[in-house]
Amino acid sequence: MKSIHKFIIAISIGVGASLTSCQKLDILPTNIFTPDIIYDSEAGVKSFLATIYQNLPIEDFKYRPDQGFKTGGNDWENFYNSASVTGEEVGPFGGMDIGGGFGYWPYGDIRNVNTLIDELPKHAAKLSQSTVNALLGEAHFLRAYYYFGLAKRYGGVPIITVPQDPAAPLSELQVHRDKEQATWDFIGSELDLGYQMMPETSDAGRANRYAAAALKSRAMLYAACVARYGSVNFVEGPARAQGLVGIPADKATAYFQAAYDAAKLLDGHYSLYNANSDKVQNYVDLFLKSGSPENIFIKQYSVATHTAHSWDATMSPRYMTANALSRSYPTLDFVRLWGELPVTNGDGTPKRFDNRAQLMQGLEPRLLATVYFPGATLRGLMFDMQRGIYPSFSGTAAAEVAKPANSRSYILAGDTKTLYQGKQVIGFTGPWTGGDELTRTGFYVRKYVDYNKPQSAVDLNRSEQPWIDLRYGEILLNRAEAAMELGNTGDALTSVNLIRSRAGATPYASIDLNKVRNERRMELAFENQYYWDLKRWRTADVVLDRAHFKGLMPYYVFNENKYIFLAETELFNREYSFQKQFYYEGIPGGEIGKNPNLLPNNPNY
Amino acid sequence: MKKLISRILVGIIILASSACTKTDNYDGPNASFQGNIVSSEGGNLPTSGGSTTIKLQQIGWTTPQTIPSKFDGTFQDTKLFKSAYKVVPTGGAFWPVYDTVTVNIDKGTKHDFVVTPYIVIKNFTTSLTGTTLTIKFDITAPVIAGLPTIKDVQPYVNTTRLVGTGASIRDFSDLNAVTINREFIDLTDAQKSITLTVPNLIPGRTFFVRAGVRLSDSFNSSNFSEIVQVDIPK
Repeated sequence: MKSIHKFIIAISIGVGASLTSCQKLDILPTNIFTPDIIYDSEAGVKSFLATIYQNLPIEDFKYRPDQGFKTGGNDWENFYNSASVTGEEVGPFGGMDIGGGFGYWPYGDIRNVNTLIDELPKHAAKLSQSTVNALLGEAHFLRAYYYFGLAKRYGGVPIITVPQDPAAPLSELQVHRDKEQATWDFIGSELDLGYQMMPETSDAGRANRYAAAALKSRAMLYAACVARYGSVNFVEGPARAQGLVGIPADKATAYFQAAYDAAKLLDGHYSLYNANSDKVQNYVDLFLKSGSPENIFIKQYSVATHTAHSWDATMSPRYMTANALSRSYPTLDFVRLWGELPVTNGDGTPKRFDNRAQLMQGLEPRLLATVYFPGATLRGLMFDMQRGIYPSFSGTAAAEVAKPANSRSYILAGDTKTLYQGKQVIGFTGPWTGGDELTRTGFYVRKYVDYNKPQSAVDLNRSEQPWIDLRYGEILLNRAEAAMELGNTGDALTSVNLIRSRAGATPYASIDLNKVRNERRMELAFENQYYWDLKRWRTADVVLDRAHFKGLMPYYVFNENKYIFLAETELFNREYSFQKQFYYEGIPGGEIGKNPNLLPNNPNY
Repeated sequence: MKKLISRILVGIIILASSACTKTDNYDGPNASFQGNIVSSEGGNLPTSGGSTTIKLQQIGWTTPQTIPSKFDGTFQDTKLFKSAYKVVPTGGAFWPVYDTVTVNIDKGTKHDFVVTPYIVIKNFTTSLTGTTLTIKFDITAPVIAGLPTIKDVQPYVNTTRLVGTGASIRDFSDLNAVTINREFIDLTDAQKSITLTVPNLIPGRTFFVRAGVRLSDSFNSSNFSEIVQVDIPK
């Protein structure tokens, strides 16, 4: 009886299994997103765009020019910036450590954009044609942004506009480099499409048509300078002979005109931030207040999503923060762009000050809003910069600085606790040679520093102020430079004077190229522009030729109860030399290994 | 249990002993390449650290490698793979060499390159007065047309025989540079006779000294004089 039961069970299992088994398995996978899920709704496209935006080569707070673009939760070393090799600042880099780049090669991200551009038109019925057009315009802007990141590093790169099929023959996958001129022209035409197709306004953090025009003015200015200055100062090599790097000089005018025209498109749609009549506070707030009419394209950060940056905790000394340390410091050479500081009398002796804050009297508001001077205040604490004490001081500043260190009569100290006759020898905020967590130059960065935060909240990965990637101030300077290069001095003067009056500076009566370039350095300091400016002007190998930079050291003169300031080499006295080959970075070796058609490499790599 | 463990151990020993039995049948980097960088004006080209290199491009391989030249204008690399290489000297203060030579590099391969220097330093003399060293020399150019601008001239002072760019005492060397920033063709004969001074050398020390002329070519490279020893009396 038992065996019959077993038999019946066996048969029913067998029949049951054979009845249900041979069905075709043709159901949609539930664990991967199919194109319809992504592209049939705006929310789906937005989620895809988020990745593309996140990976954009925006040189923000977290960008490390020797390592790359950072999107992690603990990329806190924000003082590793390009300003600290160009003489705007001195910082953690031991020299020109960023010339070779970090092997940027974002073809994975470009493939994402190419896929988007390929797919979107197929979903016009669900998304509506106007939405598709707007999104396509955005995609063209994004693709141009990636190619701009490549072109300014390598010159000509392979222009890939469709998602490659991984199964295609190797000969199709190994794409040759395009000429540098073709690469810039492609970027220009992509941005034209972006301008034509995108709407006038956008959510914060996303691009609108004016972001495309603004980026175009930046990109075309770069291309124009490559044509004009790169044809004079260059390194010979096969890549140059084939046009993979370098643009014929006679193309410069057309690119300058394109930069000028693009900048002009923003006329009347954006304006300089001018909400506060206090010029210093106004310039400080420009980088901190949301909804500024100057912001064209910003990148946002949030503690909640682990994307916050550490600007506040790494630009100011530990004395004013809750954690961490600072490590990059504005130089006196940079501060002197505004003119000589009044620290020396006519006879060469150092001017005596009752207190250090007196030095700031009469300086341009923009300078005071960009750099923290000795005696300035942050979070209720004074920037206490004091290099040491002179029991007494006689003679000229120049003679004193020229003396060997061991024959100077000053008192220095290894820490802030050391006293000289009851008076603290070095200030709480440096300058100090024991390490580089206190200033080496006598200055600290002020731009972008959030003064409203209580000290206890200034910690690593807690800063959320957005990075203003494209602001109208830069566009006016792009326009002024292009106008100057085209011989339109009137327009250049107008644009520069708009910048200067907002900055609280005296407007110029006349203009030249040098004034335009210096205005750019002053206005866009610490915004990761100057490194690329030096490269496109092809002046980096002259400006950074065994360069050493200076600081301004405050001393207390004991017997007079006064302060003096001496201009001395920054305390690490580091040397910065830019090799001519760095005007282009070398194509990454790993990529050449995968695709030998990328050869010849750039000159001297 | 013990049995099981010993069986597993035996298994591991068998697997371990049978692994890694393949022998590498490729030759190691046992080829070498050496020679001189000869100046067309006679003798070896005096060079310095971080300037002249021999660039080797192995045929069938993508990434080039380099052999830095020694200060006396010789070069040597004894850890190369035997192969055909395209070789060219580059990076120094000589007229660019565009014709790459193909050399089959094997054990003890020798090859000399002849280059034309931008500038030749002649009549190089030094004289010491107290602790101040005076250096005098004349500069000539084998080829004048198209010569890069002369940026500056300077002494190089170091405490070892290895003296040149990147191997010198800054206070005695870079700080005593004299800026020129002119074309060679625009220099008068008097300006081609150069005098450099190095003051405040330290008594009782021995220094090694040479002079360099820096040009604004692709590498901002320098032509150098020979190296002389200078003893500062106590």
